[in-house]
Amino acid sequence: MRVRVRVNGEWREADPWEGTSLLSMLRDELGLPGSKNACEQGECGSCSVWLDGELVCSCLVLAAQADDRDVRTVEGLAGDGGLHPVQEAFLEAGAVQCGFCTPGLIVAVTDLLAQDPSPSEAMVREALSGNLCRCTGYQKILDAVRLAAERMAPR
Amino acid sequence: MADRMRVVGKSLARVDAPGKVSGTAIYAADFALPGMLCGKVLRSTLPHARITRLDVTRAAALPGVRAVITAADVPDVRYGGGLKDETAFAKDKVRYMGQPVAAVAAATPEAAEAALAAIDVVYEPLPAVLDLEAALAPGAPLIHEAWESYTAIPILHREGNVCNRARIVAGDVERGFEEADRVFEHRFRTGMVHQGYTEPRAAVASWDSSGQVTVWSNTQLPFEVQNTLAEILQMPPSKIRVVVPGVGGGFGGKLRVGVEHFAAFLARKSGRPVRVATTSEEELTAAYPRQGSIVELKTGVTKDGRITAKAGRIWLDTGAFAGSGPGVASVATLVLAGPYKIPNLYLEGFAVYTNKTNCGSFRAPSGPQANFAVESQMDIIADALDLDPLEFRLRNIVREGDEGPTGQVLNGVGLEECLLKATAAIGWKDRRPGPGRGKGLACGWWTTTGGSSGVYVKINPDGTVALNTGAAEIGTAAITGAAQVLAEELGIDLTDISVVAADTFSTPFDFGAQGSRTAFAVGNACLAAAADLKRQIFALAAGQLGVEPDALTLADKHVAADGKRLSLADVARLSQQTGGGLIAHGTFIAPPTPYDTKRVEGHVYPAFHSPSFHAHAVDLSVDPQTGEVTIHKYVVAQDVGFAINPTYIEGQIEGGVAQGLGQTLSEEIIYEGGRVLNPNLTDYKMPTTLDVPRVESILVQHPSLVGPHGAKGVGEPPNIEPPAAVANAVAAATGVRITSLPITAEKIALGLVDARAGGA
Ligand code: FES
Ligand code: FES
Repeated sequence: MRVRVRVNGEWREADPWEGTSLLSMLRDELGLPGSKNACEQGECGSCSVWLDGELVCSCLVLAAQADDRDVRTVEGLAGDGGLHPVQEAFLEAGAVQCGFCTPGLIVAVTDLLAQDPSPSEAMVREALSGNLCRCTGYQKILDAVRLAAERMAPR
Repeated sequence: MADRMRVVGKSLARVDAPGKVSGTAIYAADFALPGMLCGKVLRSTLPHARITRLDVTRAAALPGVRAVITAADVPDVRYGGGLKDETAFAKDKVRYMGQPVAAVAAATPEAAEAALAAIDVVYEPLPAVLDLEAALAPGAPLIHEAWESYTAIPILHREGNVCNRARIVAGDVERGFEEADRVFEHRFRTGMVHQGYTEPRAAVASWDSSGQVTVWSNTQLPFEVQNTLAEILQMPPSKIRVVVPGVGGGFGGKLRVGVEHFAAFLARKSGRPVRVATTSEEELTAAYPRQGSIVELKTGVTKDGRITAKAGRIWLDTGAFAGSGPGVASVATLVLAGPYKIPNLYLEGFAVYTNKTNCGSFRAPSGPQANFAVESQMDIIADALDLDPLEFRLRNIVREGDEGPTGQVLNGVGLEECLLKATAAIGWKDRRPGPGRGKGLACGWWTTTGGSSGVYVKINPDGTVALNTGAAEIGTAAITGAAQVLAEELGIDLTDISVVAADTFSTPFDFGAQGSRTAFAVGNACLAAAADLKRQIFALAAGQLGVEPDALTLADKHVAADGKRLSLADVARLSQQTGGGLIAHGTFIAPPTPYDTKRVEGHVYPAFHSPSFHAHAVDLSVDPQTGEVTIHKYVVAQDVGFAINPTYIEGQIEGGVAQGLGQTLSEEIIYEGGRVLNPNLTDYKMPTTLDVPRVESILVQHPSLVGPHGAKGVGEPPNIEPPAAVANAVAAATGVRITSLPITAEKIALGLVDARAGGA
């Protein structure tokens, strides 16, 4: 089955088996292992990507569903100028431990801040409740969101 | 002292952060090789049964299937740590639901699944032993009929389904009870819980034409896995290379061989690289979770609140194989003693076989189970004596120079400070601020695991430094901590250090990322390497500058004396021309902690090295109808000896508390009839952003005698006290005392109903 998909701005082609998830196609066929496969059940958010601008768990999306559509992954966030402000904030706030949840959380936080540039802590908790992190207890992730929001606020 | 430091004691960003935030860091689950096959494991569907038929012919003939293996295809050996009772595959009989029976390698995951489904296996059920009581009952079926024939370290006390009984005896416990004014007896229970690391266990194996196998694994212990693979494969360790790419969390769950041997066997048989990775279901049914337990405590106290004697027993349900059980049962007895001065002790820990998955080590193994019992009972006793729980603890805690339960002399004891600071921060004076609201306290002690560590440290010709360590970075930032120690000593910045880690062929030995030891031990090895490098650097520079080596100092990337200076880069280049470059092998072995050998029996962990001390305090409310707990504030005061990197220590505390609150309030692997009822992340409920409160971390610093700059192990302790702190707060809030984990809303609600009925 041929799938043609625009990933991080570039048209790519793959030939996945029909039951393959978007996550597996990204990781195993398109060489983009940044999106992680922690549960494959839609329970952890480690596989979060954008599909036509909408945040999805890519383990729950079939590769075929992405045909002719636009996908953005964590690998597409850092630009020539270096890390994305959300990535910088995670690094500086000490929000990264093992880092396996980190790409999914960075995608989810970037998505949140695009919709609401200065969310309350309660809203951040709500928005990130689908992203499991076993290492940090989330506190420094909440700190990182606040830091990123401050940095990204229009002056 | 920390004020003069440039690098240690500072909250610098971890060395591996850029790769992790950009998504470019490669974990074992990401690692791939050309032509790699997908390996999967067929697991037993019964808790205890004889295998009467196992036929793989149909599976092996399916399209895309490259290898199918069973016990018949692998060396017939039993392996394990102190007790060799495990086999790669079940042979003749299965002992838990989830035990490996066969494994396949195929071109795609779908083909591998199809092959598993095509394996013909028939079982004849046997009576299963489903819990501790059943395993210990007279005449209980033996999980291992031939237990006596197994190879074991001689120190273990084994008998039937008990694969170790560890004991501490101090003073005369009966006399101690006679001296007491009151004696309290209680029984507690805790459930089986999973480490919950986000990255599943994964390994890729590949053989070369010389007969050497390389295994890329997310193990915490590459050298241990190398040795275990040597046993399982019946090959010399020198032919087995274990490399650890990134590790997505371990918490003790990735200490032991789990999938590596399957990958290696399948790769050999198929002639292709093979990856084996677990699913969530396999994790929750066939991993190395924390043992469920039963604890019985009998404690004697005087009217004025001094503990005269304690008798305690803990039974750990270690599952169908010993796993870490015998060691964990030993450690448990030290936790049962608690951080208290008690002259008369009789403490026993039992590791018990049942027909469940093989339990292992989970962050502070036995800590939460035993501490939950000890610290719950401390509050029950304080209430009965009409003493404030803080005051009762202060009358009994250990202080500087006191003896531990096995006679070790305690140094760097910051417990009193921890208790006072935690209670001050939680507002202890007002312990019941309103209806349904209460505050709870718990304290404890823990070890900094010993073992040896080696590092190679090389100065590059540009003056930067390569740190080569056998320890894997599992997420704690321990390697960053060790690198900070090194940078401080060499007068360089943390960003000048690059790390090569955890490859059994190219990195020096390390006892592994376990037991809160990594920053401590690798940091000390870095100190040794730095001292050696300085000798080399000063000798070279002295000749070059025409000064005495003793006059030289190393700072700011330069070596200098008498106003003359030379850059570290210059010295490194000079050394490349004259002596093969600047490199040092630094080593560290934790000195033994003396203890009274007469007090212990069957004990594989008789003293806590460089012990840490901690107190947790929590303020929570309980919904009077639903029993649901809402945490308002959580405080941890932890004696870390010296805070090498405060931010990441806070991270350990915050994460450890979150994980601890999971096992306190919601997590349990629930078995019924030998089957796990909740083998998925919907029903095995780990805390999310909506469940975890902010945690206030107070870093207390009473230096240890051994650690770098006085540091102690910090990673495991935050996981120990949450159950007891919450149980005590729930009791303060409601009067309901929950004596089993998890403390679900349902249990509290039922307790409230009972209390109302009793009061009516
Ligand atoms: S891997 Fe997709 S939600 Fe967990
Ligand atoms: S940092 Fe390890 S799971 Fe979040």
